[in-house]
Amino acid sequence: MAINIGYFIKESAQNFRRNWVMSLGAVITIYLSLLLVGISMATGFIVSEIVKSVEDKVSVQIFLKDGAATEDVEALQAWLLSDEMVDTVNYVSKEQALERFKEEMAGSPEIVENIRENPLPASLDVTLKDPREVQAMVDKIMVNELFLKVCDRPDNPEESLKYGQQIVDRLFAFTRIVRYIGVVFVAMLAVVSLIFINNTIRLAIYSRRKEIGIMRLVGASNWFIRAPFLLEGIMQSLIGAALAILTILLIQAALLPWLRDTLPFLPVDLSGGAMLQLSLVLVVAGVIIGLIGAGLALRRYLKV
Amino acid sequence: MISMRGVEKHYVPDAPALAEVNVEIEAGEFVFLVGHSGSGKSTFIRLLQRELLPTGGQIIVAGQDVVRLKNWKVPYLRRNIGCVFQDFKLLPNKTAYENVAFALEVIGRSKHVIRTQVPEVLRLVGLEDKTESYPDELSGGEQQRVSIARAFVNRPPILLADEPTGNLDPATSLGIMSLFNRINKTGTTVLVATHDREMVDSMRKRVIALENGHIIRDQHRGVYGYGD
Repeated sequence: MAINIGYFIKESAQNFRRNWVMSLGAVITIYLSLLLVGISMATGFIVSEIVKSVEDKVSVQIFLKDGAATEDVEALQAWLLSDEMVDTVNYVSKEQALERFKEEMAGSPEIVENIRENPLPASLDVTLKDPREVQAMVDKIMVNELFLKVCDRPDNPEESLKYGQQIVDRLFAFTRIVRYIGVVFVAMLAVVSLIFINNTIRLAIYSRRKEIGIMRLVGASNWFIRAPFLLEGIMQSLIGAALAILTILLIQAALLPWLRDTLPFLPVDLSGGAMLQLSLVLVVAGVIIGLIGAGLALRRYLKV
Repeated sequence: MISMRGVEKHYVPDAPALAEVNVEIEAGEFVFLVGHSGSGKSTFIRLLQRELLPTGGQIIVAGQDVVRLKNWKVPYLRRNIGCVFQDFKLLPNKTAYENVAFALEVIGRSKHVIRTQVPEVLRLVGLEDKTESYPDELSGGEQQRVSIARAFVNRPPILLADEPTGNLDPATSLGIMSLFNRINKTGTTVLVATHDREMVDSMRKRVIALENGHIIRDQHRGVYGYGD
């Protein structure tokens, strides 16, 4: 078998050189389609990281008025915990709220220094099992009588609640759009790459029809005849995949630091694990495209 | 070695290229297949190679039922059949040696086997001095010798030749025929389709004559035929 593998590689490389214009076309289309797959995947990874970090922060804060009766607050807390949407409920006292505020504002000491008496209300921090249910939970809290009794601004209950529904909604909508656009483009490019590979393999078969005839004549097995052409298809797509991975690495190196600088409040990052997963997907997708393209050409043009 | 029973082949309905063909060829025989162009000689040969499937009948070649043979097994049948053609079918970008070696390479023979068998068969066909020549540097007769070497290098039990001397002058043809004779002497069954009258008459071998797809004569130590 050792000589066979060498033979196949030699043959495919020769085919590649003979029809290098077509082969280049195939490589470029595969490269572009895999690049798009990669970019939409990388965007997906980054956005889902951001969504996750935002989701962690999405909680409903209920601000309590100063001097609210402890038993009322505890009753509200118990009522919240009994709700199946609720994950945890955390009581934050006025002092703790101030501490937290001071920590967050550590960068601007002049603000902290100017605080004379504690202006911050105590609060109940409610986290939910599914961040997407924030709005439903808020609607429920809003009509609760205990809440109306203890909230910071009974005249305007909405002001006593803080939650990040809109951020979550927007992020989810964004990821969905990115995904749809990605799928459509990738599907179109995959078809174009299939056509290109199909064509290059057809030309390769045509230019080697004499050899193929003799191979059939002397009894070369069907797979022996097919293998160099399949290998050529796979080689084209692997080159395309390698170029795509390289390009994504370059984009990552150039773009991510800039993104981090412009969006310091968002955790923009593409982990090594994600990059590895992405590369693997591109290589596998490339091999599949190459095999299908070459396989179609063999079925149509190579009689064995 | 070759057995055809009730074989028919229609390319178009109601116009048989071959009909009612019954032939038995024993191992080690030398057989001429003669007839005009269009008499069915090539169809006969291509049926044996399983380039074509018959419309009806049974064909056994080298112990294998050609009609029922699974597609993936066809290459293994063909390893038992050496083939020689009028147009040589050599690869122009390969030397004589490489052309012969190619036939062994593509059926997965080892380098060692190739290095011993190729020079040997080239010596057998009398081309030991031209191993490094390309086909366009060889005469027609020499090219046909290379193609015979390629057909025989794997020592198949059967050698089929379709008009092997169709492009050659009579003197060269004689050399080719005596080469077939020598190969036949090694025990190989040889079937030569030809319309080279002088050749057939001088060799006095078994002759199967085809006309309009029918066998009209099957004669041991025969001649080309009467009439034209």
